[in-house]
Amino acid sequence: MIDGLDILIGTVITGNIVLIHGLGLYALTRYTKTVDGAVRAGLNTVVGMLVGAIILWLLGDIVPTSPTSYLGFYVIVGFVAASAAPYLTRQNTSREYHVVDTALIGLLLLMAEGGVMGVDHLWYAMGAAFGYFVVLVIVATIRQRLELAPIPKALQGTPIVLIIAGLLGLALLGFRL
Amino acid sequence: MKVFWESVFKKNPVLVLAMGLVPAVAITTTAHNGWVLGISITAVLLASSIINYVLVPLVPSTSRVALRVLVLIVLVVALYGLMVHKRPGLVAGLGVFFPFMVADAFRLQSSENQPTFGQVVLEALGQGVGFIWALVLIGLVREFLAFGSLFGKEVLTGVLRPLSLASGVPGGLIIVGLLLALTRVINKQGGELHD
Repeated sequence: MIDGLDILIGTVITGNIVLIHGLGLYALTRYTKTVDGAVRAGLNTVVGMLVGAIILWLLGDIVPTSPTSYLGFYVIVGFVAASAAPYLTRQNTSREYHVVDTALIGLLLLMAEGGVMGVDHLWYAMGAAFGYFVVLVIVATIRQRLELAPIPKALQGTPIVLIIAGLLGLALLGFRL
Repeated sequence: MKVFWESVFKKNPVLVLAMGLVPAVAITTTAHNGWVLGISITAVLLASSIINYVLVPLVPSTSRVALRVLVLIVLVVALYGLMVHKRPGLVAGLGVFFPFMVADAFRLQSSENQPTFGQVVLEALGQGVGFIWALVLIGLVREFLAFGSLFGKEVLTGVLRPLSLASGVPGGLIIVGLLLALTRVINKQGGELHD
């Protein structure tokens, strides 16, 4: 249980999938214009991550270990999980976004690289999903507060979102020391 | 040729369309990584565009997304296998996130309006060249700031590294954000509407 909680806390803070691993940036730059949009996009990915982790957990020893074969395997599992997510959440999202979700595929690859086994898949996915969701909502909130701020025109939109994410990431790095 | 040059500069996939952000931030910590990744993405983009041009009209519209993803997965896995076999050192530098080019290539090719074969090839080549120069530029800036070197050659010998955080993801996010803003200044674009 303590191991599970360690994984959970580690993936939310010191191993945050967006701010520390740099995944899910497509959603971060496109779906954080409003908090509502961030919640909807985040929910789909969260469900996709949990579905992907459950698939890996159920497959157990069948999961390939050779790098060249597992690469394709994890991308396909990610594609299946991402395609299932909108049906489970009953939401309509951009098809281009949800079928090839980098946060989801990246999470599966990180679990493979880290040698995550069995039920730890679920702990890892829950932590990563929560960390991802929280970051999306926080950035959307900051972005809304910045609407009236005198930001130079060239920095508005995607550049300022990336800079905000970078500063948040630097803050999280402090927990690693 | 207009399609080609537009994809290289005016509609650059990384610095204008902000498409390949994960490779730019998570993988491109050196100019060499950017170069290898750019070449790989160009090969995948070109091959998948040609295959899709031939295959996509033959399948029902409901299965086209799955087909396009499948084509990309096969190409990326084949390229990865080839690189592991021929140049394992190249792959080691790119790490676990190599398959993300599936996502970037898929999103770049989402338009189904493909008038002629020549235009499809030119657009894919233009996007590939756009990826290469943008990723190499990002890699150069990050490598210089983080390690004081350019393409592995030390240029700041005996000097304190200016910003070692540039090789990490948070530093990468800030640098890529600033380069995106700089591109907008050069292109005289910008503002929330530009997104």
